[in-house]
Amino acid sequence: METFELLLHGFSVALQPHNLFWAFIGSVLGTAIGVLPGIGPALTIALLLPVTITLAPTSAFIMFAGVLYGAMYGGSTTSILINTPGEAGSMMTALEGNKMARAGRGAAALATAAIGSFVAGTIATLCLTFAAPTIAELAFYLKPADYFAMTALAFCSIAVVMGRSRTRGFVSLFLGLALGVVGIDAMTGQPRLTFGTLQLLRGVELTVVLVSLFAVGELLYVASRYNKIPGVMQPIKGQKWFTREDLSRSWKPWLRGTAIGFPMGALPGSGSEIPTMLSYTLERKLSKRDDFGKGAIEGVAGPEAANNAAAAGILVPMLTLGLPTSATAAVLLAAFQNYGLQPGPFLFTSNPSLIWGLIASLYVGNLMLLVLNLPLVGLWVKLLSIPRPQLYAGILVFAMVGVWGVSGAWSDLLIMASVGVLGYVMRVYDFPIAPALIGLILGPMAENYLRTALAAGQGNPMVLVGTPVSATLIVLCVLIFALPPLIQRLRANA
Amino acid sequence: MRALSTESAKTDLPLEEGSGQTAAPRPFWIGGGLIAIGAIWMHGGLSLPQGARYAAVGPGLTPTLIGAVLVLLGVILIVQILRGERFEPQDSEDAAATSPMDKRAFFTALVAVFLPVGALPTLGLPLTAALAFTLVTRALGSTRLIANFVIGGVIGSVSWLLFTQLGLQLGRFFPPLGF
Repeated sequence: METFELLLHGFSVALQPHNLFWAFIGSVLGTAIGVLPGIGPALTIALLLPVTITLAPTSAFIMFAGVLYGAMYGGSTTSILINTPGEAGSMMTALEGNKMARAGRGAAALATAAIGSFVAGTIATLCLTFAAPTIAELAFYLKPADYFAMTALAFCSIAVVMGRSRTRGFVSLFLGLALGVVGIDAMTGQPRLTFGTLQLLRGVELTVVLVSLFAVGELLYVASRYNKIPGVMQPIKGQKWFTREDLSRSWKPWLRGTAIGFPMGALPGSGSEIPTMLSYTLERKLSKRDDFGKGAIEGVAGPEAANNAAAAGILVPMLTLGLPTSATAAVLLAAFQNYGLQPGPFLFTSNPSLIWGLIASLYVGNLMLLVLNLPLVGLWVKLLSIPRPQLYAGILVFAMVGVWGVSGAWSDLLIMASVGVLGYVMRVYDFPIAPALIGLILGPMAENYLRTALAAGQGNPMVLVGTPVSATLIVLCVLIFALPPLIQRLRANA
Repeated sequence: MRALSTESAKTDLPLEEGSGQTAAPRPFWIGGGLIAIGAIWMHGGLSLPQGARYAAVGPGLTPTLIGAVLVLLGVILIVQILRGERFEPQDSEDAAATSPMDKRAFFTALVAVFLPVGALPTLGLPLTAALAFTLVTRALGSTRLIANFVIGGVIGSVSWLLFTQLGLQLGRFFPPLGF
């Protein structure tokens, strides 16, 4: 009951005209970046960070939530109509969605994607509403050792799950961790790895690294291997939007997609790619028709629901434990820190207006996005007529403004260019990028928890597995490493 | 962000001879680079106390450990490369992973990326934006240099005016003329 009252309070915050305005701006921006290539939600929020510092935190986070959800809606449009997903989470949508569009059923594919996103987004937000306070309540009992074990598990699973090889996942993670230790040590005040420069004393900003890896790295990569042949856009004029049969084929995949997406989004490393892949595979297996691979509507409905539910899922560990499970969540965490706020159980009691206003805005944003996306899809598609050279040049200019606006230091611009080259190399040799960002933001937190736990245990390392939660999580870390080779060996022997 | 296109299977096709790209890149230098970075971090970490009287872990231990793991990962990567590990470029929306590297376009874009380091503090945002915009559009094949220069300048000027109003410190508008 208390949750319900808090949610009502959240709605009174989210429905204030200025907050509605920021939710609208966020939803429009989110849909636009979902449609456009080269920019994702993480990069957009990072670029908005310096600008939003003059806004009240509640308004800023309501806008960010709009960006996060909007990107999931927008990504499906290009997947379906041109077969080029704007976001990683829309990859699976393209498989069936584009085939549907080629068969003259593009409008139905867009409709099932948008309505499915709305249904999944709303159900997942409902789950978030009730799960988050409970987890936050439990989190009060967690000790530094538990938090350290949680960050360790996040590191292991992200490095193992993302990318094609574990080694490359860990290289990316440890590069992020290495950048994270630069600056003044929070516990002793000693400078570390600053190489005698004043500029590095305050550490390496996540915003700078993120902008460099995503925007600059992508720009250099596209420049080096530019594909000038534009995709063919499938027309949707005059098509039927959604028939009764479409609905009867879509509603079950929407619900199954939500059930997969929400919990998977909350797990570290799964992002929005894995739940969408799982949902697609499940729908394919369950389908009794033979039109999978030829434009089955279930193959659009399931993954689209899954990616929106996953977007709500990532907010659960981020808000309740301060634990980011994807690149976008890492930037959201940085945004909280920019305002001097630390997500976690205490935020629920110290700043309920912010937390509940944010959660309520997710419901509002979902409704806005449904209206923005279904009737206005033709408008969004027009964004794709921006010529690519000017689009990427514009992205570089905004990256420059974002980085220069953070501190006005030339050293940050040098970091932007150098880390941008690193982002290019990572793309050419297929190193995953998200682990580096998670390492950079979670590394200092993990170190802090480790040192606090060891100090409390007077240096006894057994304190790290001294509670049931920490012991279980550390065992899980070991299993992540040990299980795959073990299974491989068992299979070889069989 | 890997394999954005659904047609990533294309990358498994054998590369044609003379396509300008080696069939199996063996980037030993990445392993070497990791060992070098790891060594720097270990050196930096070891110059600080590893332990602390009450806290068991001093400020130097974490950088030392991270450096050591990076060295180890560098060695593992080199061993993997020797064993024939494959390194395929990631598929991206506007980049064809299988096409050979366009060095001229890459280096033009690289100049645009490094340009702000010197130009932003001395030339201001609008002029730097115009120059970077022109370079990137040139790298991606646009030949309308003057139009792009003007568009970049306009985006830079509008951004400067807008974001300065919002409270961002973006330096002076046009430092060469002192305002």
